[in-house]
Amino acid sequence: MRPDAIVVGAGLAGLSAAVRLAEGGARVLVLAKGVGATHLGAGTIDVLGYARGRVERPLDAMDSLPDEHPYGLVGADGVAAAVDWFKRCFAAGPLAPYSYTGWVDENLLLPTAVGAIRPSAVVPETMARGDLRGGARVCMVGFRALKDFHPALLADNLARAPEGVEARSAELDLKPEGREDANSQAFARAFDDPAFRAEFAAQVAGRLSAEERVGLPAVLGLASPHEVWSELEHRLGRPVFEVPTLPPSVPGMRVFATLRDALRRAGGQLILNAVVMGAERRGARVTALRTRVGLREVVHQAEWLVLATGGFPSGGLELDSRWRACEVALGLPVAGVPAPGAERFRPGYFEDHPLARAGVAVDGELRPVAEGGERLLENVLVAGATLAGAVPWKEKSGDGLSLATGFRAAELILAGGNFGRSEARAAAGA
Amino acid sequence: VPQLQADVLVIGGGATGAGVAWDAALRGFDVTLVERHDLSQGTSGRFHGLLHSGARYVVKDHDAAVECVEENPIVRRIAADCIEDTGGLFVTTPDDEEAYSERFVEGCRTTGLPVEEIPVAEARRREPRLNPGISRAFAVADASVDVWKTVWALARGVQAHGGRVLPYHAVIDLHRDGDAVTGARVRNELTGEELDIEAGFTLSAVGAWAAQIARMAGVEGVDVVPGKGIMIAMNHRLVNTVINRCTMPADGDILVPIRTVSVIGTTDIHTANPDDLPVTQNEVEQMLDDGERLVPGFRQARALRVWAGVRPLFQDQKAGAVGATRDVTRSHALLDHRERDGIGRFLTITGGKMTTYRLMAEHTVDAMCRQLGVDRPCRTRDERLPDSEGGKHYHLGSRLRARDSELQTEQVICECELISRRRLEETMHRRGTTNLDDLRRSLRLGMGPCQGGFCIYRATGILHGIGRLDGAEASRSLNDFLQERWKGSWPILYGDQLRQARLDDWIFQGLLDVEHLPEAAAA
Repeated sequence: MRPDAIVVGAGLAGLSAAVRLAEGGARVLVLAKGVGATHLGAGTIDVLGYARGRVERPLDAMDSLPDEHPYGLVGADGVAAAVDWFKRCFAAGPLAPYSYTGWVDENLLLPTAVGAIRPSAVVPETMARGDLRGGARVCMVGFRALKDFHPALLADNLARAPEGVEARSAELDLKPEGREDANSQAFARAFDDPAFRAEFAAQVAGRLSAEERVGLPAVLGLASPHEVWSELEHRLGRPVFEVPTLPPSVPGMRVFATLRDALRRAGGQLILNAVVMGAERRGARVTALRTRVGLREVVHQAEWLVLATGGFPSGGLELDSRWRACEVALGLPVAGVPAPGAERFRPGYFEDHPLARAGVAVDGELRPVAEGGERLLENVLVAGATLAGAVPWKEKSGDGLSLATGFRAAELILAGGNFGRSEARAAAGA
Repeated sequence: VPQLQADVLVIGGGATGAGVAWDAALRGFDVTLVERHDLSQGTSGRFHGLLHSGARYVVKDHDAAVECVEENPIVRRIAADCIEDTGGLFVTTPDDEEAYSERFVEGCRTTGLPVEEIPVAEARRREPRLNPGISRAFAVADASVDVWKTVWALARGVQAHGGRVLPYHAVIDLHRDGDAVTGARVRNELTGEELDIEAGFTLSAVGAWAAQIARMAGVEGVDVVPGKGIMIAMNHRLVNTVINRCTMPADGDILVPIRTVSVIGTTDIHTANPDDLPVTQNEVEQMLDDGERLVPGFRQARALRVWAGVRPLFQDQKAGAVGATRDVTRSHALLDHRERDGIGRFLTITGGKMTTYRLMAEHTVDAMCRQLGVDRPCRTRDERLPDSEGGKHYHLGSRLRARDSELQTEQVICECELISRRRLEETMHRRGTTNLDDLRRSLRLGMGPCQGGFCIYRATGILHGIGRLDGAEASRSLNDFLQERWKGSWPILYGDQLRQARLDDWIFQGLLDVEHLPEAAAA
């Protein structure tokens, strides 16, 4: 099969683009070195948490972002459409009725594993009861064997927050398979087991006070999170919520599983361990990608290409010791890199660093552009953390950006191409 | 103000001060050591980790070379557990003058330094990444030394002999009684409490800060020329032998394999303030270029961390104007302030280097004994440090072998440096510290490739959980650590380490949002 479109990268941006394209009737091939940032993040769809100070209403606050911010490429409507689509993916997905709740017009305030309060717009149902707006009484429950979640520290910091939270904590000695050291994934598998849940509920029930919500590390199941979560709420007779742990991210794995399943159902294909080595070009078009899968070199031809390989942390962008930056898969220029000798970073860790917004610059149709703004490639669209102009970890905007630009890239391709399976496209409501 | 009594007060908790305290304790003195920061946090903790054979100095500084030739085997024996017997090579690269190698050979002969020229092919077999253009290679007895382990072993030895070791105690004034120093007032930097230490003798071993302490005794003109040097730790053992360029000592000419990294050093820049040592971009570029000369491809390797140390090069006022600091002798200076300034029971030891710390300590305590009119012979030549009794050297696999079994059954907090929860908690209790950076020095916590990305949240949670810190203090400690890591990271962020740093940003900013903890907002 010669695909209509190749998507490089299997993070939120790449999978969103791929699923949307496949739903729209395009034959899609996803090539990725490995799983993407879904497995590292919180599993929430943070749209915009900080702009000038903490953001209450993400869509409204987008107006205050600088012009070159990538949200300008999709606009508030584009973000809303993408989020709406994302939520519907879960309704039809393998984990249903596990769902996302919240909307882009308003941020929830969720606790982090260290006890800071993080604004987030659209979150798994299993996290929503952790919303601390208007204050709360919570008991944070953790496990000694889970080193990536410290309930006492979390509770202590929450209790100091201005939001008016009463927080305390409990630590249990439950161990998946008797292991002293088990990560979030091992705990999630354990929670999928009804016997483990029953044991957990029995241990924790007597330690709770009236009117107290229960916060847990985000490990409430990989196979059936809705069932795990609602059963615990039922057994404990009170709201229960998850708090993201250090990676690996169980909620992020649920996102990956859901989108991968949607891709498969829509006829798309995903190949992991595929490393893009270069591209073949004709004029301003990429005609094929050279990839390495294991020891084999494979050339894939396609009409369209969506580049969603991530930024520096994912290896989509690189900076060498002489301060030359490049986009790795296609060798696209990287905008926003200070000249050699100029300041790249500031001495304070939390300061605004000059290199922070570096990425591939694109035009209004997500095509990569050169320094002067001229379009470099006609059939390549760039999405997600590869894009220049945002500081996603600081703004708490990474998920919204990846989702919205990935979705937008697919829409642009679908609008410009004539893909055979129009009935599938109609069925998907494109 | 509460009071303590001691025979000997040692000021300074680097290798020299700890060595002096150990020497005095072995001679039966009741010793108290004070250090304003953590032990070996100053110059000692900021060098490349080279135990000199002496070959570096054979042409330029005969006396320094001879001292190293004598001390190297002694330190290898008494601090065996702190030493990795890497051996060293001096290589003539295409950028080095061939004529120097003849002077080098002659210098080795006159200083009695054991050296063996080996064929270039053999050198390259030993070190395959070495510059293929080298023309000569000489094998010498260089080694790498773990200074934190050494200083803590010395401190534990002092304590075992009834002495006191007080980190985070800064001297704020020296007491004088007539023409003699009689002790010091110190301030606990963690609690702010002050303490008077009444001492029969006071020994200042504070390296580049010697002038400040001397001034408290009313002694002027102790000129220490602080020479700043930067070092970069590369994430891998690019070499397994210490590699030196066979040339006049210059910048960036030493690559030291130590533990899981290799350290390149160093620059040498006269600096006014030993407490302010910025790393400049020029220096970093220079180190990377120098690295390329030793090991081609150096710039593609992953740089882990950069830091600056300050050499305490002593130059008495009478010796004339200060020139390039590399020309000041690397030998140490012992100042008897009774002879020099008419102030008794007070000595300053400064200058020197890690390799000769023991000799410096011996000379210092000898001078003290002379002034006190007592005859107690030095014992440090033969007395092995705690944990070095077996005489076995550390090697690269030692840590994994020692911990492999516990790592199967215990919770591992730092995967990079193989630190279990039990070991972390024990160290927290033993050291009584709440400072993550202290734990880093004691355990190597957060020193691996991820630079604390995973373990620091865990360690903060554990410190808090065992009741050492409340939420605000834990948050401050976490913030301080992140800032300290950043300081050594941002000047060398490129390639894979930039990638790592961005992942850490995702964890600390995106996921945990440490920036918006209540305490962080107030700070």
